[in-house]
Amino acid sequence: MKRLTLLTTTVLLLASLASAQAPPAAAPPATPAATPAAAPPAATPLTDADLKGIEAPKAEDRAKGDPAGTITGTVADVPVADPITDKTPKAKGLTLGDLANLGGQNKIAINFVWTLITGFLVMFMQAGFAIVETGLCRAKNANHTMMMNFMVYGVGMLAYWLIGFTIQMGGLGGNGNLGGLVPLSSEYSIQLFGKSFGLFGQNGIFLMHNGTYDVGVMVMFLFQMVFMDTALTIVTGSAAERWKYVAFLVSSFMLGAFIYPLFGNWAWGNGWLANLGGNFGLGKGYCDFAGSGVVHAVGGLSALALAIIVGPRIGKYTRDGKSNALIGHDIVIVLTGCFILAFGWFGFNPGSTLGASTNGNLRISSVAVNTMLAGMAGSFGAMLYMWMRYGKPDASMTGNGLLAGLVAITAPSGFVNPVGSVIIGLIAGVLVCVSVEFVDRVLKVDDPVGAISVHGANGLWGVISVGLFADGKSNYGGSWNAVSGSVTGLFYGDASQLVAQLIGVSTLVGLVFTMVFVVNLAIEAIVGQRVGAKAELEGLDVPEMGQLGYPEFELKSSGVRA
Amino acid sequence: MAGIGIVVTLLGFVITLMSLGMTDSVNARMIMSLVGIAVSFFGIMGLIIPAYNKNAIWRK
Repeated sequence: MKRLTLLTTTVLLLASLASAQAPPAAAPPATPAATPAAAPPAATPLTDADLKGIEAPKAEDRAKGDPAGTITGTVADVPVADPITDKTPKAKGLTLGDLANLGGQNKIAINFVWTLITGFLVMFMQAGFAIVETGLCRAKNANHTMMMNFMVYGVGMLAYWLIGFTIQMGGLGGNGNLGGLVPLSSEYSIQLFGKSFGLFGQNGIFLMHNGTYDVGVMVMFLFQMVFMDTALTIVTGSAAERWKYVAFLVSSFMLGAFIYPLFGNWAWGNGWLANLGGNFGLGKGYCDFAGSGVVHAVGGLSALALAIIVGPRIGKYTRDGKSNALIGHDIVIVLTGCFILAFGWFGFNPGSTLGASTNGNLRISSVAVNTMLAGMAGSFGAMLYMWMRYGKPDASMTGNGLLAGLVAITAPSGFVNPVGSVIIGLIAGVLVCVSVEFVDRVLKVDDPVGAISVHGANGLWGVISVGLFADGKSNYGGSWNAVSGSVTGLFYGDASQLVAQLIGVSTLVGLVFTMVFVVNLAIEAIVGQRVGAKAELEGLDVPEMGQLGYPEFELKSSGVRA
Repeated sequence: MAGIGIVVTLLGFVITLMSLGMTDSVNARMIMSLVGIAVSFFGIMGLIIPAYNKNAIWRK
């Protein structure tokens, strides 16, 4: 009976969403106004002389303080290029040029502050990933798992500063939101099918090379760096509890220095995927607003490659291939971590406008709402699926459902409407459960935290969903990837956008996975990827890190067994 | 076997890439992209993973 009620609720919810998503009936043609409105009087152009009469608050008034805030932030705060002083009575004083400069700098300042603060939020997601992964692992590996999540931040940043940022963004070719970013203008390209294929950037080594010691470039570096680190920390989950620490360091460095930045360049750095629209007429080119593909699918597919190479944990499968559940040690910190990640996602997606002022960037509100709605729908999708299938609303899978919804909405968040977001999130919530079961029971790939399903499967779903649900209403300065117009998916009339997205998916699955796999095979051959059986059975805290994560806990026998 | 799987996985991407040069039709490109994705997934799930599972620790 309980299952029937849940099933009915789900069907009703889906039906109401489908009806809300249906395109509205054609609106009747607008009736022309009976009488044309009177033409406004011609405006008189403003001149410098008009500014002379604007008075600043008097010094004695300022001295009394400003509890109401009415005389703080006035004409007195406008920087003047040629100020009138006692010694220069004939100076120009405040001019329209001063106001124009102030307007320009204010726009860039707003965008800098927005992008930096959202970048700080994304950085805090590292804490969320750390405790989600640690909570889903057994207590005997807590120190090791936490330490991998901690040091991936430093290793990734070092790799990205040395070379990764250059490869990814060195040929960006400008960004109006952040003041131009003119130094990032050297992209290495080849000719293929008669078109230019951008492969990697060349400016930005050490953030000093060719004029990249630049305030705008610094903002871009910080924001892109924390995104890259998110991709790296996904991998530590799938290989947890048996990954050799040295191998983790080398593998993370290679991913942050070369593999992630390459795909990042193709999608975001003026590379060949971004230019599929301009070169081949495929929609607006590959569109990945905040990184379902660039960040999550790259991380998820890397997680798959690593999980295959290191192999399942001892005790995960019986001799006949039956899967055993190796339960994580702290569901409380798992769900707390999910909340931290959901909070950080408000930096991830809305921050990807790289600005809050002009160029259609007020759409940050829509991006933020889409993000929270998809997360909600994902958690509902997973909870209801697990409840119907197993009779209980599984806590860890509900948390993974929230993350799956957030992962899936990351690429389309800037291009879809709220109803589309809920559908995308709901599908993601179910998809993560089905995928976890498939990876665990059919493929027999051991993924302790579900990273392959949360980030890999749903990252790919997010990329595809842009090609389906983008509603053509967004307008970020009138174009995307240098193709004029708004991103529009199949359901709103543009099938070619879906093709661009599928080419992105194929690149991820066919090329990025292969690169990660081959690089990690080389690491396997040189340093080895997996710890010895004795260390694995004991728990990696002491053999690998020299210290228990919980030294005062008495680990029960069931907790320390294989 | 795993080596063949890697080649097949990469081949899927090549099929998709070739769609850009072989045709201007959106439908044809879509079909080739889907075929490319399917081939890559076969390389991973049908060749690489079974090759590793053949010698997996739980079989010993």
